[in-house]
Amino acid sequence: MTWDTLVTNSPTFILGIPLLFAFLTALSGRFSKKIGDTLFFIALIATAFFVSLMSYEVLTGESWFYVFGAEQPSPENIRSFFRITFAADGFAVLATITIMITAVAAGIYSYGFMKFETGLNKFYTLFLLTLAGVNGMVLTGDLFNLFVWFEVTSVASCALVAFKNYRGESVEAALKYMILSTVGGLVILFSIGLLYGQHGVLNYALLREGITGSFIDKLALGLVMVILAMKASSVPMHMWAPDAYGEAPGSVTPFIAITSLGSLFVLFRLLFSVFSLTVVSGSILIILGTLSMIIGVSMALVQSDLKRLIAYLSVSQVGYMMMAVGVGLATLNTGDYDSFGELAMQGGLFHMINDGVYKALLFLSAVAVVHVTDIRSLNDLGGLAHKMPYVTFFFLLGALSIAGIPPLSGFSSKLLIYKSVYLYSPILAIVALVVSIITLAIIGKAFFNAFLGPDQGLVKRRVSKTMLLGMGILTVALVLFTLFPNIVVTEVVTPAIDALTETFEGVIP
Amino acid sequence: MSWESFVMMMPYITVVILMAIGLYTVLFKKNLIKIIMGIAIMQNGANLFLVSLAYRRGYIAPIFTSAESTDMVMPTPHALTLTSIVIGLATTALMLSLTMMIKKHYDSINTEDMRRCKE
Repeated sequence: MTWDTLVTNSPTFILGIPLLFAFLTALSGRFSKKIGDTLFFIALIATAFFVSLMSYEVLTGESWFYVFGAEQPSPENIRSFFRITFAADGFAVLATITIMITAVAAGIYSYGFMKFETGLNKFYTLFLLTLAGVNGMVLTGDLFNLFVWFEVTSVASCALVAFKNYRGESVEAALKYMILSTVGGLVILFSIGLLYGQHGVLNYALLREGITGSFIDKLALGLVMVILAMKASSVPMHMWAPDAYGEAPGSVTPFIAITSLGSLFVLFRLLFSVFSLTVVSGSILIILGTLSMIIGVSMALVQSDLKRLIAYLSVSQVGYMMMAVGVGLATLNTGDYDSFGELAMQGGLFHMINDGVYKALLFLSAVAVVHVTDIRSLNDLGGLAHKMPYVTFFFLLGALSIAGIPPLSGFSSKLLIYKSVYLYSPILAIVALVVSIITLAIIGKAFFNAFLGPDQGLVKRRVSKTMLLGMGILTVALVLFTLFPNIVVTEVVTPAIDALTETFEGVIP
Repeated sequence: MSWESFVMMMPYITVVILMAIGLYTVLFKKNLIKIIMGIAIMQNGANLFLVSLAYRRGYIAPIFTSAESTDMVMPTPHALTLTSIVIGLATTALMLSLTMMIKKHYDSINTEDMRRCKE
């Protein structure tokens, strides 16, 4: 097998390796724990390797469409319907990189964090299945695959939330999430049926040619949009997020959050590449985004539970991305796109990759606090900086970044958003600024409560080295994004925007 | 509406009824088992919708060997339906097992007793 074959087939490996190793880790429980651990890390590293291979090829060479299925199915004119396409383009690269950074960090962190749990090989299985599901969602080029990967992600991540099944709260959060996801999946299936009945195709590119904006198209668009926004924890449908983030086993909390970022990626892909109703859907995105920012941050204000507080802040961060990309979508194909729409897109998508990193860092350091002290309420914490200097540093970095304090990477992306959104509507920019300031106040309060003050002797156990390593990986990524935001924007984010705004060509002639 | 077109519409009317029953059950029932049954009814509604989309009068099943007519239905919706039935099995099983654990922890399967996450 030559190098080129590996590169061309990398989308399959990105999905195939986690799926294969998911079953191998499940089997390994019969033998020994060591084998499960080893297999898990091999799978993570191999997937990360193929993601970087694909990214390198797309970013330096050109994007391609990976096709499953026979070259020549019999009736000549319908062959493209039978074939499954995977899009290895700039947007998929941005999404898979965001997912993989968090997945690797959370995976390494889990090794130290979950040491005292039993049945870890099943944990690894669920983790790898979720990884395959999210990557499949963002890579796929047709609607039905989207449904399948959506359900794989739902089932695996719900089971992951309920992994500590000796706690009633975990099971409760998982069941709520599961019921919402299953009903959501069915609604997506129903709208796929609507689109298929109308146009007779499932491929994104072929579907785009057929879509005219009839009532059925609009109905399907509305249903898909509502469900994906629900999975992305946008506001009217955000209730599941704090429960699921708060009750999942600590080390996978950022990973559950990444599945919702994955849904947001898919939503953007569908809105740009399939449905061409730009102004309407752009305005809806802006409204949902603004609501998410305001309501997310005001709910975070009253939380005393550290993990739930960060969960609500992450809801409000999702609002920034939806608002920025909504502005880009609403101005697409008009003169305004060149003056500020593209800038808004850059800000929104750069904020997504930033958010994936600093949110994971915040969650993991908050989980380390809970792990060490067994206390979740901010009112009872205090003085942890004396015993946990590293975790304090990691939390501070994440906190400054989520609040958008210069020079951290959160500031770079938020500045792009403020600048461009201001030209669209000054009110939106003011809302974004105010939300940012309240975020600073909230996360500052959490930091002071938990880490500063006299040592209260709350530390019961040590933070293991692998947990620190997991957070260290995220810190390295955060520092890189902070030092070189221009390189990230021109080299990674701009190809993603090009892939979105240019016509999606996922049909093999 | 003629009788003929009414008969042709029957599957779609059934789909709407099934989806409405399922959605009503999910939204307004408090018993977890009933909610899961509602989801299962919605699943059947969606599957029936896909299968009835694929139906074309006078067309045959898409099996190429020894086919007399070339008027074949597209097999895509059937493939979709099979996949979605399998996925439905997985989700239903997972939800039911979560319900079993809820019963163990809370000694109730009423959604009104599931309030521990709030604080």
